[in-house]
Amino acid sequence: MELNLAVDSIDNLAAAMAQVRRAQEKYAEFSQEQVDKIFKAAALAANHSRITLAKMAVKETGMGVVEDKVIKNHYAAEYIYNAYKDVKTCGVVEDDTFFGIRKIAEPMGVIAAVIPTTNPTSTAIFKALLALKTRNGIIFAPHPRAKLCTAAAAKIVYDAAVKAGAPEGIFAWIETPSLDMSTEVMQNADLILATGGPGMVHAAYSSGKPAIGVGAGNVPAVFHRSIDIAMAVSSVIVSKTFDNGMICASEQSVICDAQIYDAVKQEFTKRGCYILNADECERVRKTIVVNGALNAKIVGQAAARIAEIAGVTVPKDTKILIGEVESVDFEEEFSHEKLSPVLALYKYADFGEAIEKADRLIKDGGYGHTASIYIENCNEDLTRFENAMKACRIVVNTPSSHGGIGDLYNFKLAPSLTLGCGSWGGNSTSENVGVKHLLNIKSVAERRENMLWFRTPEKIYFKKGSLQVALAELKDVYNKKKVFIVTDEFLYKNNYTKTVEKSLDSMGIKHTTFFNVLPDPTLECAVEGAKAMAAFEPDCIVAFGGGSAMDAAKIMWVLYEHPSVDFHDLAMRFMDIRKRINPFPKMGAKANFIAIPTTAGTGSEVTPFAVITDESTGIKYPLADYELLPNIAIVDIDYMMDMPRGLTAASGIDALTHSLEAYVSMLATDYTDGIALTAIKNIFKYLPIAYKDGANEQAREKMANASTLAGMAFANAFLGICHSMAHKLGAAFHLPHGVANALLINEVIKFNATDNPKKMGTFSQYKYPKATERYAEIASFVGLGGKDDDEKTQRLLEKIDELKELIGIKRSIKDYGISEEEFMAQLDDMVEQAFDDQCTGANPRYPLMEEMREIYLNVYHG
Amino acid sequence: MKFDQIIAERKNKTIYRDGDRCIKMFNKDYSKADILNEALNNARVEEIGIRIPAVLEVTMIDGQWAIAFEYIEGKTFADLMEENPADKNKYLEMMVDIQMDIHEKRCPLLTNHRDKMTHKIALTEFDHMTKYELRAHLDGMPRHNKVCHGDLHPSDIIVMPDGKYCILDWAHVTKGNASADVARTYLVFLLNNRKEEGEYYLKTFCKKADTPRQYVERWLQIVAASQSLKAKDNEGEMEYLSKIVNVVQF
Repeated sequence: MELNLAVDSIDNLAAAMAQVRRAQEKYAEFSQEQVDKIFKAAALAANHSRITLAKMAVKETGMGVVEDKVIKNHYAAEYIYNAYKDVKTCGVVEDDTFFGIRKIAEPMGVIAAVIPTTNPTSTAIFKALLALKTRNGIIFAPHPRAKLCTAAAAKIVYDAAVKAGAPEGIFAWIETPSLDMSTEVMQNADLILATGGPGMVHAAYSSGKPAIGVGAGNVPAVFHRSIDIAMAVSSVIVSKTFDNGMICASEQSVICDAQIYDAVKQEFTKRGCYILNADECERVRKTIVVNGALNAKIVGQAAARIAEIAGVTVPKDTKILIGEVESVDFEEEFSHEKLSPVLALYKYADFGEAIEKADRLIKDGGYGHTASIYIENCNEDLTRFENAMKACRIVVNTPSSHGGIGDLYNFKLAPSLTLGCGSWGGNSTSENVGVKHLLNIKSVAERRENMLWFRTPEKIYFKKGSLQVALAELKDVYNKKKVFIVTDEFLYKNNYTKTVEKSLDSMGIKHTTFFNVLPDPTLECAVEGAKAMAAFEPDCIVAFGGGSAMDAAKIMWVLYEHPSVDFHDLAMRFMDIRKRINPFPKMGAKANFIAIPTTAGTGSEVTPFAVITDESTGIKYPLADYELLPNIAIVDIDYMMDMPRGLTAASGIDALTHSLEAYVSMLATDYTDGIALTAIKNIFKYLPIAYKDGANEQAREKMANASTLAGMAFANAFLGICHSMAHKLGAAFHLPHGVANALLINEVIKFNATDNPKKMGTFSQYKYPKATERYAEIASFVGLGGKDDDEKTQRLLEKIDELKELIGIKRSIKDYGISEEEFMAQLDDMVEQAFDDQCTGANPRYPLMEEMREIYLNVYHG
Repeated sequence: MKFDQIIAERKNKTIYRDGDRCIKMFNKDYSKADILNEALNNARVEEIGIRIPAVLEVTMIDGQWAIAFEYIEGKTFADLMEENPADKNKYLEMMVDIQMDIHEKRCPLLTNHRDKMTHKIALTEFDHMTKYELRAHLDGMPRHNKVCHGDLHPSDIIVMPDGKYCILDWAHVTKGNASADVARTYLVFLLNNRKEEGEYYLKTFCKKADTPRQYVERWLQIVAASQSLKAKDNEGEMEYLSKIVNVVQF
């Protein structure tokens, strides 16, 4: 079939577009090597024709300067080639095998290139080269005033590309431009690259196709009093006279400090510019803008020619006509974009005024385009200017025509002839447009696992009678001077803390004791303790007691180290402890933390958790961060022997649920599995003994160790919905935490133990629902037997029931004297809060609220 | 119907008074669609809370289409300005207020001003390049949906016996940009050799609406192009309009 590249009617347009599309489909298969060869050949051909095309453009449009257009063509060919010659644009462009992410570049398809009349050939070369480098097809929609030279530029690049191997028909251009044809092209393209006035840009964005459109500029150049006047003035002249001022990034006004104003004027005059007197200024004013719009006759004309049209006599080689004006309002013609060597000159008294003027000029005429400033060694004013300008390019001590297009006066600003103006200019990009804007980048992301961790206190000392030996380190190793002991009233009044105090006395360490800690410690209590700490200024804190004393001491520690901390922020729920929004403050600058548990259950001596209740609102703040890990834990059963049976049972069963939940958690690891299993096995065996015979040292020791092991397991693998639900159940009906967990654990195991949950939990490591398998592993380790995973899980449930029976845990919530009416009244709130509990996230099965409701109801009735 | 009392005669229509009715009779070559559209536009505007003469009947008399409107008693602003030259500016200011009130109204089913102008530009006799520039220029103008009378003059505002105003002649009503509507009124002042009144009118509008004069002036090219369709036989006016039209967007 014969190719028809030049489209002369709307009827032929569809066929031409189909032709480009077919060619592009072939081109999309080309390799980087083939594309780079074509890109080079095309750039060379454009470069060879730079003078011919420049002459054609000036002749056809009647605007601009041949020699400058040669530079533009040269730039479009050479700088674009140089910038992108080694850039990968085909196939895999980035491949990070370590993190498993790959970027694949694909062409967008057919690009509609709208070409302006001010820079026709250079823009055509620029867009053609970008399209070729990115394996896109392109259709040029030229301005009717520049249709011949645009077509010529397109054809030169096309011929060279095809000769170098590009598919025939990869380009097409409109020979007889009309707005209807441009619109049609835009509506059928895959991407629009529109350069031109607001009408064109608007049409591009309303076509319904992705568009990169660029609009007018109205660049102010601020002259700070600190400048090198000769350099600044000459820079503006070279930029403003370039192609007779038709570059959109060209300076439209100079806003000059009053202190240097006269010197700047003299310099402009010395370098061949003409300062208009009041009468001449008025004539030029009425010539450049007619009926609110730029006068077509002056665009791209030399200064003397514009003066002549205005009826003003100036030397014939005058470079720029300068009007001294005051207003930056739209009513002032000089404040507009002039696209000609006509410049407004403003004077400012203070820098704030300069910023105001520049801001107004940009907002009225070149929103989002470019701003320019000349300034030396005054970073403060430069920063003010940068911050204030609503411009996507801010060029410093640089001719803005050349500076804005990049790579001429700054070598990290991408070279481009299409300068994005951001949302301010109604554009989809604020950058200098380059190859990346013409590519679809596919990201191939492979599944990777999170880095995990195992964190514990630096030292865990254990064994009956270890306390005194361990405490000796306070002097010998740490050289501590002042110790603050936190305990509860019972332990204090019954002299349980005496051993600690005596040890400290013997080492000559000062100490004080705070013992006003009640169960479920309150913020008020913590604040009181922290106050005492602040007065005493300890370098070490010893928490001595059960979970309440240890949690309260942790909070006091936080308040002591960081008195202005906000608990709302610290207690904010996180999805991943490493990605939390509010980082936890660093601990340990003032004091170390030593935990000595006197119960076997909570594990708080080795966990990064603490719960505190705001007594005024009743809100519980669960804090979780490894900063809260104690520095040393001392596990000595000498202080556990007298634990009453109820406490032994409740805390012991709590430790069991810690280890069960940690073992099936999505974050469970080899490091936590071993200790969790050991803890479970020992609890099953020794809890009934410790319960029955509190004086049995072996049972006490096994339980103490199991509790700390379980603590380490859930400090790293976290918990699950048994704890989520127990937190709310305990709070609502004042059930001991361990009892609440004991009531719920069987139903939670039944809920989790399915290979087909409604929703599985989301965590990269967690590959498929495997809770049943995990419960079965526990049953096997404990030696419960069973022929398959289901039966093993069943045996585990029975074993837990048996244990509960042995240690006096009742079978249902109802059995604890809670009426159905009371329970139902709280149920919905409990469900919602339990769902949102921090522990829910690690559960192997992601619960629906109605499912949690069902669990609560089952446990209520037993 | 009686046709003895002629109120006004135009190139292609004649307006008669018939008791409390006013009959607009169109020449035979007048577009039927335009006539029906005028009646429809009028009916739409009647519904949005502006006092205008109601359409009473659309009929055919001796092979000519005619629209019967309610007759409105009173003097027009044009009459009053003639009678009291010293108060001219006062009436121009009041006219601006009235026009701005109209701009506050919304009437979604009216023709879009942009569409109308696009169509008019296509019908003009300017060369291809000029039409291209005009279209591009029009496409770049801000898009609004205010009710625009489209041809408001002092002669279109009647002060009724109760002192309230009635606005006539809704044949050109559209929804669009208020500045375009003002540009049209301003242009007609200029074409009627009433530059002084036009300037005062424009200045007053820009002040009251806090609009730069240039925003209104930017519409002049468009409304002048549209007006050129009516100036085909008037060489002087055509030349004047061509000058306005010949600007370029870059």
